[in-house]
Amino acid sequence: MSGVLIRSEVEPAPPVSGPMQPMPLSLRGVSKAWDKGRIPVLDRVELDIDVGDRVRIAGRNGVGKTTLMRIAAGLIDPDRGQATVWGASAAERPEHYQRLVSFLPAGDRGLYARLSVRRQLDFWARIAMVPRGEVSARVEEAIEIFNLGELADRRVDRMSMGQRQRLRIAMTFMPHPDVVLLDEPLTSLDGEGAQILYAAIERLLDKGGALLWCSPAGERLDYGFDRTYMLDEGRLVSA
Amino acid sequence: MNAFAANLNAFYAVVRRDFHIYLSYRTRLVSQILTSIFSLTLFYYVSRLVRVEGFTTPDRYFGFVVVGIALVGVLYSCFAVSETIRQELVAGTFERLLLSPFGGVRGAVATAIFPLAYAFVLSSITLGLGVAIFGLELHWPTVPLALPTLVLALLAFLPFGLIFTALTIATKQANVGASWIIALLSIVGGLYFPIALLPGWAQLAAEVQPFTPATELLRHFLVDAPMETSVGLALLKIVGFAEVLVPLSLYALYHAIRFGQRRGTIIEY
Repeated sequence: MSGVLIRSEVEPAPPVSGPMQPMPLSLRGVSKAWDKGRIPVLDRVELDIDVGDRVRIAGRNGVGKTTLMRIAAGLIDPDRGQATVWGASAAERPEHYQRLVSFLPAGDRGLYARLSVRRQLDFWARIAMVPRGEVSARVEEAIEIFNLGELADRRVDRMSMGQRQRLRIAMTFMPHPDVVLLDEPLTSLDGEGAQILYAAIERLLDKGGALLWCSPAGERLDYGFDRTYMLDEGRLVSA
Repeated sequence: MNAFAANLNAFYAVVRRDFHIYLSYRTRLVSQILTSIFSLTLFYYVSRLVRVEGFTTPDRYFGFVVVGIALVGVLYSCFAVSETIRQELVAGTFERLLLSPFGGVRGAVATAIFPLAYAFVLSSITLGLGVAIFGLELHWPTVPLALPTLVLALLAFLPFGLIFTALTIATKQANVGASWIIALLSIVGGLYFPIALLPGWAQLAAEVQPFTPATELLRHFLVDAPMETSVGLALLKIVGFAEVLVPLSLYALYHAIRFGQRRGTIIEY
């Protein structure tokens, strides 16, 4: 097997040269080195995520989890290999790819400080090419689901970190993507915020979506995943 | 929803975003109007103090320079997009554009629209102040022709901003040179004084960019300034520059983003 994914003994081995059926998300031989000639941060990573899958990637700080997520999101290119969503790659069909995937980057960035929650959601819905007639309904739906009602007209720079994180999560789910990628989504969230997030994930999976979650090793989670992998020395190993 | 309508909706979203961010800074318009008044006052008295070669009366030079002042704002607005995208890189919001179906190239082009529209409004206010406070005489029969000329000129100007945006995305700091370019273009474009006063090599530079014919045409339509060339030739030059520079700048922008994505530096700032 040329791939380096080592799955648990009870799971079937992944396909080596690409799936027969397109999957919601597939990573095939993904490698990335930040300094040319150095040890790659990702080394021929293989991963398939099927409909309804909740998959977590854990690992030490700086091990390459975020790099993996950025490649899966189509934000950066791998040096070798490719990420595909339902068989489409971000490099070849970026617009199509971004309609299917939604990515929550780690941290608290990516918000317009001087826009209100409602305007931020409205902006994101339109940029995400939500049909024009559905924009208002989607915005109000996101405000309700993510319990942002009291904050709807408040500017982002006047909100707490946890409130901002809830808004960022709302933006991630609002376009109704097939695949959601969450990079350290619990950052700054309180218990209520975490429960809202879990409920949003369940709705995504019920509608045939798939989830890839990444967070540091050792993080205590009260949420169950179908599979958990550790990223170590550029390789995914079953946890 | 067809692709055109979806794109139009996304362009609208970007313009509306910038409008609301602008509105959140309540004193910006007032401070910019005050800046215009100070510039007009300065050049009004300069026109009274100095006799400029080629102008029969002080009012002729004042009319000439007011159009130049108005266009400097437009010139700055063309380059504003690179600074805005630089801020977006820092704030992580450009990453959001890249992660949307709308994408980075259309996102950057859309980001240029509000500053251009705002510069048009400010330029109109500047001209209005010139008329109301300093007795500037507009040539009303041809004033309406200035609007389509300006739109055409913006098509030729905007690529400069988009090329700087591409450099900013690729190097994260290219905007440093924008103020030099603006200063240079305002001199060789004849915004403050006639190109005929410049040395020969600088007059050559005046011929190889779209600001000179655009400025000359707008002056002709707004204050009835005489043309060095014909209206048709000036229009042809602007169209020619736009036709060459627009695709070139979009190509540069696309490849700057792809360069960053391939190297992984698109997330840096």
